[in-house]
Amino acid sequence: MTSRFGKAMLLAAVLAILLFLLAPILVLILSAFDSGNVFRFPPKGLSLRWFETAFNHAEYRSSLWISTVLGLLSTAIAVGLASLAAFGLVRGKPSYRLAMEVLLLAPLTLPLVVWAIALLSIYAQLGINGTLLGLILAHVTITMPFAARIMIATFDEIDPNLEAAAKSLGASPWQVVRRITLPLALPGLLSSTAIAFLVSFNDVVVTTLIAGAGWITFPVRTFSRLRTEGIDPTTIAIGAMIVAFTILVIVLGQRLFQLSRRL
Amino acid sequence: MKQTPDIKPIATALLVAPAAILMFGVFILPFLFLVVLSFWSQAPGSVGMTPSFTLANYARIIGDSYYLGGLWTTLWLSGLVTLLCLVLALPLARWIVLHAKRSKGLLIGLCILPLVCGALLPTLGLVNLLSPLGFINGALKSMGLIKTSLPLLGNIAGVSIGLVQAFLPLMILPLISTIERIPHDYEKAAMSLGATRLVVWRRVLLPLMLPGIVAGSLLVFCASLTAFVTPQILGQGKVVTFASLAYQQAAMVLDWPFASALGMVMLLFLALAGLVGALVSRGLGRRT
Amino acid sequence: MKRIACYAALTAVSLFPCLPAFAQDYSGRTLVVGTWGGDIERLLREHVAGPLEAKTGAKVEFLLGGSGDRMSKMVAERNNPTMDVTFQNIYEAPAALKEGLVVAPDAALVPTAADVWAGMNDGCYAMSLVGLGIAYSKALFPEAPEWADLWKAEFKGKMAYAPYPSSEGDGMLAVAARIAGVNEHDPDAAFAKLAELGAPVLSYSSLDEVFTLMDAGEIAAAPMISGYVLSNLGNYEGIGFVFPKDPGPVLVRDMVCQVANSPEPELAQMFIDLALSVETQTAYAKELNFGPTNSKVELTEEEAARVINTPEEVKSLLQLDWSYVIEQRSDWTDRWNKQILGQ
Repeated sequence: MTSRFGKAMLLAAVLAILLFLLAPILVLILSAFDSGNVFRFPPKGLSLRWFETAFNHAEYRSSLWISTVLGLLSTAIAVGLASLAAFGLVRGKPSYRLAMEVLLLAPLTLPLVVWAIALLSIYAQLGINGTLLGLILAHVTITMPFAARIMIATFDEIDPNLEAAAKSLGASPWQVVRRITLPLALPGLLSSTAIAFLVSFNDVVVTTLIAGAGWITFPVRTFSRLRTEGIDPTTIAIGAMIVAFTILVIVLGQRLFQLSRRL
Repeated sequence: MKQTPDIKPIATALLVAPAAILMFGVFILPFLFLVVLSFWSQAPGSVGMTPSFTLANYARIIGDSYYLGGLWTTLWLSGLVTLLCLVLALPLARWIVLHAKRSKGLLIGLCILPLVCGALLPTLGLVNLLSPLGFINGALKSMGLIKTSLPLLGNIAGVSIGLVQAFLPLMILPLISTIERIPHDYEKAAMSLGATRLVVWRRVLLPLMLPGIVAGSLLVFCASLTAFVTPQILGQGKVVTFASLAYQQAAMVLDWPFASALGMVMLLFLALAGLVGALVSRGLGRRT
Repeated sequence: MKRIACYAALTAVSLFPCLPAFAQDYSGRTLVVGTWGGDIERLLREHVAGPLEAKTGAKVEFLLGGSGDRMSKMVAERNNPTMDVTFQNIYEAPAALKEGLVVAPDAALVPTAADVWAGMNDGCYAMSLVGLGIAYSKALFPEAPEWADLWKAEFKGKMAYAPYPSSEGDGMLAVAARIAGVNEHDPDAAFAKLAELGAPVLSYSSLDEVFTLMDAGEIAAAPMISGYVLSNLGNYEGIGFVFPKDPGPVLVRDMVCQVANSPEPELAQMFIDLALSVETQTAYAKELNFGPTNSKVELTEEEAARVINTPEEVKSLLQLDWSYVIEQRSDWTDRWNKQILGQ
């Protein structure tokens, strides 16, 4: 049935989709090596000067660090809470499942700027405006829909009979979770962690309004400059490095994972 | 058909409670504030609000095709983007799961790269590709396929391309984790029983992938609905979207009551769409 | 030991009752300043925050974003502000003062405010003077255009605008009104006249977008505020910038405000005092091409040519009735959306 031609067509389609997905990022990476002061493609002269400025720019360094810390904290909380809730909803099948699913998705349906203004007004009444706590709570809320939705899909796919079987064979609930549920949920957990982290790491609108002065993240810094002077080529270089770093982490991570499996 | 729960109601409640409490405090409370706000008004020239009940904001939205048009455009644009993402992500995700052996991790990594450096930078990259002077128009011109530049920016086409590119990872990841859970031999079994490829997809694969499809579609749809940076830059101010209207009113005109009302009208649209969707799927469910 | 230190401190205080405020020790305290990212932040760090930190021991932190974000923040946090100083646009400052969000400018609190050109501290302190002129494509305009030239038929639909509301948009409306023989108080005429230019090629989110297209002649011209445009011109050979004469460029100011009821009012005043100082204002002019508001700043001829810095120059500028304009904000935004963008 699957002819060689059909397979080749499928491969071509897959490559085309990947190209579409990655073309803007290729542009970005190539432009990062441009010697000029502006973002242009194709680059006219090659240089590493923007990478140099990126490394020497203390403010960009600290804001990247802030984005990372904020992203990690918010992701840990969001994915944790979302997984618990998703597991409860899928396995407990409560009458309020649909209502809760809607609630967990709801922050995605309001324009962030409007919600952030209302949240800031409430924070100001409580006196937690400008604090790290307030910022993390806000980030957990905007990443929650992504984490929750993926975890619900994940648990929906896992056959509860597997857990029941393990239990009937004498496994404790903790053993069931550790040995059966978690390994089966791992791909979903990884997806939701990746997406939640990236949503938090990239947010501009909410962070601009909610964050205190000590918590200027990388995208907030980039966007605030973009709007007055235009894009800073340094940012492009940093973007290119983030891309390279991500690929490196994935490749290394996979190697280590395969190694650890072999051991 | 009510299924029996696998865990006790009290355990369920305890598992759901932390997320529910957080959502109540950080989302529902501000949301209720916005509901109230949408019935307030703002005196001209003021940046404060007058806390007295009025329907003026809603009357202004309903009486003005500009705003309703913007909300409507955003709704169908988000639907279109979701559909495009699904069509592109399905073959890609399946191919990665079934055929990419050792390079799987790397491929998944490549798929999420558009999310890695934010909406902003890839969007600017797209501007370079799509603009009248950009790579695509330049290539087509040099091949003699077109004489004048194709308008790929400042219109729905440009915004859709940008949103699909930005949000495709949101569809691919849930699909991959769903497809990984489908036992490989289901498809073979069905085929060996004489089912055609189409039937296998319709009766076996798609139903099994449904949780992933639903998750991905909801995420892409909602993310497109409220996307701000990408439509703003690729639409060049000429494509009126929900988020750009809300941003203009909330952060630039500082008319928060009106911006809140815009959000509420959109929610109403969504609720209606959800209701229609639920009724249709129930109707379909009965027929089969 | 401790007691002795206390006595010493007490004596010191009683001996110097009129010690100037800035000699106080502010270590451990933080001043929060809301401003734009990029060169402005860098200059403020260098010329204002650095010296202030050295002098007082306090820490200065910057909150980055757009001025609209900061207005929203002030309104939302009005009972419990976190920002002490904020930089705003000319049209926002009077509204902010009217709303009680900022402290009225006062030379008794901020001594250098007395050196600012008369009448400019409207709502907040005037930080820099820039004018709305025309950025144009040299390929399409061999000679620098006047405002009226933009209305020539061949340029219809070849403009670019900043997203509205903005001082660029309001300024352009005022110019259109003047071309139509009225002023900004006649919005019907202003919008009708501006609509004659056609829908813009684009509303831009950043200067790069416009300049790439303008450099290639796809965009004929854009009303833009001097400053960043001038610093950017070096990157594009095909783009010029001019301050037209009839009417003159529209005067736009960046304002620096002391937020009302903020945690650190004294530090805020010291910050603003340094921001308005001759030294900072000179750096603004030299590095950013932002005209000084401090009348005591002296520039070389070359520098002066790029900025608005004399009373005569200021007089030639078109000054808008900003408090009227801000009252029209909502209505004009609707009109802009429909009559200019949506035509």
